[in-house]
Amino acid sequence: MSEAAGTVVVIDDDYAMRLSCRKILEKTGFHVETFEDGIQGLEAIARLKPPLVVVDLKMPGLSGMEVIPRVRDIDPLIVVVVITGYATIDTAVEAMQNGAYDFLPKPFSPDELRLIVKRGMERHRLALESRQAEIERELMRRRFVTFVSHQLQTPLVAIHQYLDVLKQLEDSPEVQARRQEWFDRCLKRTEELQGIIKDWLTLSQLEGELARERVRVDLHQIVGDILATYEQMARAEGLTLENRLKENTCVVRGDRNCLSVLFDNLIVNAIKYNRPGGRVTVEGRAGNGEVFVSVQDTGIGIPEKYQAMIFDEFFRVKGEGAKTTTGTGLGLPICRRIAREVGGAVTVESQENVGSTFVVRLPAFREETAEAKAAGCGL
Amino acid sequence: MSLESKKKILVVDDDADFVESVSLFLEHNNFTVLKARDGSQGLKLARMEQPDLILMDVMMNERTEGFFTVQEMRRTPELAATPIFILSALYETQAGFRVKPQSSWLAHDEFIAKPVDMRALLEKIRARLGAGQAAGEG
Repeated sequence: MSEAAGTVVVIDDDYAMRLSCRKILEKTGFHVETFEDGIQGLEAIARLKPPLVVVDLKMPGLSGMEVIPRVRDIDPLIVVVVITGYATIDTAVEAMQNGAYDFLPKPFSPDELRLIVKRGMERHRLALESRQAEIERELMRRRFVTFVSHQLQTPLVAIHQYLDVLKQLEDSPEVQARRQEWFDRCLKRTEELQGIIKDWLTLSQLEGELARERVRVDLHQIVGDILATYEQMARAEGLTLENRLKENTCVVRGDRNCLSVLFDNLIVNAIKYNRPGGRVTVEGRAGNGEVFVSVQDTGIGIPEKYQAMIFDEFFRVKGEGAKTTTGTGLGLPICRRIAREVGGAVTVESQENVGSTFVVRLPAFREETAEAKAAGCGL
Repeated sequence: MSLESKKKILVVDDDADFVESVSLFLEHNNFTVLKARDGSQGLKLARMEQPDLILMDVMMNERTEGFFTVQEMRRTPELAATPIFILSALYETQAGFRVKPQSSWLAHDEFIAKPVDMRALLEKIRARLGAGQAAGEG
């Protein structure tokens, strides 16, 4: 624990109280700074920014009750615990209203002090985490707008530039020679645009409060249907697609469409980032109330440094084949959201030039009991 | 016109299609085109080949990769005065991308919005490279 993270500031005019608080808390592993009045204490708090402050309510000069709001002004996340010999309900309520976290009436045992400080520290840690998460969300939101416009602009610019040059140099032999290829590229880039818009819509639907089904879904069937649609595309690349899921083994509760989107994305990736003559294998097992389905490819793999980022919106691994890949950067974030929606997760294991395995963990379907069904009907 | 007298333009952009069409247009107009698909490749090529002018994308692997690359180029003495055109689809719409042109490291640079009007770009390039560039095609 770093010193700042484990610092407790104790403010009490009673020397014996400061000493015993210091002894008890230092024994527990905290760093303790003690002060005999509110003014000195507040100065130190502004300087040290400790996670937790223990303050006596009854002090000459600035009282504990006056200290509380000033601590909150310095940093609202600092946890304040008040100590007093005058423990009445009224003072407790007032201290809490002023922003104190908890209340310790004198006399108290070392264990009581330890417990309340530990709880307060935990509370501070959680508050800090949620503030951090809030900041990150806001940053993400702002970046998202830039990313979306960049993502939409890029194919548009490419198409515009092709058309511009085609028009300007219509009669030149270099352009004539490339014409067909350029038209094909323009079409590919419009497909990319459509893909981005489609994925973006899917993503915002997942964010919204759309009513979603919770029905029994056998993944064997969903995966089978998806593989069938890509059979031809795979054959053209010399790829073998294999569904090793057994009927009625990997059965989950969820929305059929969402689960189709999830596995569709993973299977398309496995095909797209494969090598000619490679394999795509879907396997599954169930156990402990959960279902694990893996989608394995024999493709280019994902460099280790990128593995943590591939589930981020609009992240795309840049490689030599950048011209041929047409991902939207939204496929995997969509997969992750769908899995999380039903309490599951998607993870990846990958080795460069060997292949990637994406594992989807989902809660297994459980037959509802008669009572649960009756309760459901009662709604 | 001999190969030696052709002016060299370096295009740094992560979109292969963009590089393809722009290169062909410039080659058709009698420039030699060097291609790089990210900032570090661009920097390496620029140091090696000493292009006469550089076309630089902004958002590549990193959001402001183009800007960082320009700064790096400016720290390289032999590239300190090379004209650099910064091409971006976002710089006009995103407040964050508005960089004051009088910033010292942008002294020789110009912003051009994407999609690029090829004829206008050609005129700007010719104007910047001066009379040394013979009008290729007209």
